[in-house]
Amino acid sequence: MSDLEMAATTELGTHAADTPPAGATPPPKTRSLAADAWYDLRRNWIFWVAAALVVLVILMAVVPGLFSGADPTACNTRRQFAGPSGGAILGYDFQGCDVFSRTVHGARASVLVGLFAVLLTGVIGLVFGMLAGYFGGWLDALLSRVVDVVLGIPLLLAAIVLSKRLAADRQGSGIATVVIVLGILGWTTAARVMRSSVLTARSQDYVAAARMLGAGPLRIMWRHILPNALAPFIVVLTITLGTFIATEATLSFLNIGLRPPAISWGIDIATAGKHVREAAMPLIAPSLFLTLTVLAFIMLGDAIRDAFDPKLRR
Amino acid sequence: MQVRRLIAGTVVPLAVTAGLVGCNSGDSAKVDPNGVVSIQIAEPQHMTPSNSNDASGIQVLSALFAPLVNYDDNFKPVPDAATSIESKDHKVWTIKLKDGYTFHNGEKVTSQNYIDAWNYAAYGPNAQNNGFFFSRIAGYGATQQESDPDGPEGPEKPPAPRAKTMSGLKKVDDLTFQVTLSQPFTEFETILGYSAFYPLPKAAFASEGVLKEDFESAPIGNGPFMMNGKWEHDAKVEVAKYDAYPGTKPKVGGVEFRIYLQPSAAYADVLSDNLDVIPQIPTESIPTAPDDLGDRFQRSSASQFQFLAFPTFEQDFANPQVRKAISKAIDRDEIVRSVFKGSQQSARSFVSPVVAGYRENACGDACEYDPKAAKTLYDQAGGPKKIQLSYNADGPHKDWIDATCNQLNANLGVQCTTVPEAKIADLLNKVEEKQNVGIFRLGWIMDYPSMESYLGPLYTTTGSSNYYGYSNTEFDKLVQEGSAAETPEKSIEKYQQAEDILARDLPVIPLRFAQNNYGFSTRVQNVVVDLFSRIDLNQIEVLGN
Repeated sequence: MSDLEMAATTELGTHAADTPPAGATPPPKTRSLAADAWYDLRRNWIFWVAAALVVLVILMAVVPGLFSGADPTACNTRRQFAGPSGGAILGYDFQGCDVFSRTVHGARASVLVGLFAVLLTGVIGLVFGMLAGYFGGWLDALLSRVVDVVLGIPLLLAAIVLSKRLAADRQGSGIATVVIVLGILGWTTAARVMRSSVLTARSQDYVAAARMLGAGPLRIMWRHILPNALAPFIVVLTITLGTFIATEATLSFLNIGLRPPAISWGIDIATAGKHVREAAMPLIAPSLFLTLTVLAFIMLGDAIRDAFDPKLRR
Repeated sequence: MQVRRLIAGTVVPLAVTAGLVGCNSGDSAKVDPNGVVSIQIAEPQHMTPSNSNDASGIQVLSALFAPLVNYDDNFKPVPDAATSIESKDHKVWTIKLKDGYTFHNGEKVTSQNYIDAWNYAAYGPNAQNNGFFFSRIAGYGATQQESDPDGPEGPEKPPAPRAKTMSGLKKVDDLTFQVTLSQPFTEFETILGYSAFYPLPKAAFASEGVLKEDFESAPIGNGPFMMNGKWEHDAKVEVAKYDAYPGTKPKVGGVEFRIYLQPSAAYADVLSDNLDVIPQIPTESIPTAPDDLGDRFQRSSASQFQFLAFPTFEQDFANPQVRKAISKAIDRDEIVRSVFKGSQQSARSFVSPVVAGYRENACGDACEYDPKAAKTLYDQAGGPKKIQLSYNADGPHKDWIDATCNQLNANLGVQCTTVPEAKIADLLNKVEEKQNVGIFRLGWIMDYPSMESYLGPLYTTTGSSNYYGYSNTEFDKLVQEGSAAETPEKSIEKYQQAEDILARDLPVIPLRFAQNNYGFSTRVQNVVVDLFSRIDLNQIEVLGN
């Protein structure tokens, strides 16, 4: 455990100006913010439940074969709505596909879309927030208005228009389209959070010290402000990841997100919903996994936020 | 827990009572001759005989107009508004009208009304959807425009057609007129039942050959019902019984055609007795419809033919053996059972069972499900490894297209993907531009009960709906000979020979014949949906209290 603490310290707690000179061991009682947070997290059961679920979903996305050996595209209407048998522990759906296998394989699209969209969101949000927060003035005013404008666009409406435009001439599953749509519409919260934490960090003494020592804006932003402004940003991104997965399912449900041959919980929910009076399991299984996944990421984000927020510290 | 059990306990007895009430009322309640029946339609595109070619518009027009011929149980034409339709050589036809018919404004129906209506429909600059139905009449060519010299967007207008009227239409007396065709056509009498051939009153025209602009908001016809108010767009069209109608009188006082955007909403309204008839229950509700409606859920034959079409101009599908292998790899009966719950019928021929000359297995070996033979044949013929199935998402096609794709995956070892296009027009445009859509679905409803209505437009080289680039001179010749044959029997013989060529060449593969799956409320009885998927307004009855 102490190794991890050290790693966390060096990653997130590099207070270049107010930490003791390199090589000196820190006194045992003065832990960095990140180390404190990790200490708290370890004692929070919500964190462990969320982390376990997240690991499970990522495992399903990376090696679905571990959970279900059946081919999710081997469907035969002769097995329509057949009950559980053999490997198909949840039975079969309208087209005679293995419900459990499809649910397990559906995790990959969701996780991929979530991760890449969050990466894109993160990059855009980081740049906007950092520039607006650090330079302030007219640049801040301009960038903040851009954020306001993007925030004013209804996500679903814009997603419908954008994905129709982007997907018009493209074949394939549409993962890239959904990532782009979510990325260019969903970065505003992250940018605002980044901006406010940069504002706080900018007025710290160690930043002034670095500036006096002759550091340029890029170096100050990268070495001194970023590490100290990152924690709330990461929390927001973790929660966003959860909501992105839900939004992807929504778009796919509405037939404007992923397309077959992609396997997606949203698509399966839409199909199963029409036949819910004949069989409920094809609807319940992907809905349940979708709910758990979204919940897991939001709980994880909440737990990390609680740990980082000194006011909520027990 | 207690509460929940109570609710579950009360629902079941209620349902049983409702069922019993439904049965009783059907037998004992009195028929109300002035009752108004409500029928679901979609927003009609047009409501004039010469311009309506969508099912909803035609449904309303069939209430307002009486056709020259109707069809008997064997789908043979029987004169309706005519006393006789005769020809010796199938080229010059004499049509005698029944006396006593009047338009809803009191005008007497004369042969001139037919001639005016038909000339209006055929005249090129009027650009009526149903103009091509008159192309067999002599002099039709002279009423058509020459092609625009500088394209449709250029400033120069195309020269006016040489004639305003067709030379083949000749008035003999007030109740008789003569139609001369440019070539003999044995089944001319049959096509006269189509809504394009209704007459128009003098009151419909603003001046000679110019229809009043607002005519279609309240059409004046010669049929059993007259307009009650105007066509309220996206809401309803109301019609009331026309008392001076000399033909078979309907048993209801009027009809309210209610316009729905969502078939599922109409279905819900039928369940709650807010709507009387839904002519086509949505596919996803069919499995539960027998429980929901009991014997108020019914089926009847329709003329719709569903098929998969190949872009035969593409290298991948140019070889008929590849097309045959794909046909043999599809288990039609299984899809009918699992996806349609028996609400459609497997097709193994190219014309619907409702027309004379239909043979149950005209397609022969090519439509026989045999996965092993299909795989061998497919590999020998060098079929593509990837297959794309395109369909239009505005129709109820996703489920069966997915199931078909899964069968091709399993039986041919190919990688099949399904591609939805938003609207049928999008799909057809892409096909016309020869974009890569792969195999695509189409459906066909006949215009008149004849094999020709299936063969001519779909597969002849110049056919109006030949989207697959199929061309076979022998086939064209047989269809032409069929329409010109002396007797219907000889026509059918030629048509069947033409169909055999299709079974060999397979430009399309037959999949299913649709049926009407309709439902009605507890307020009505004797609901019949005919082979054109229209509700028979002469038979329907409203139950009084």
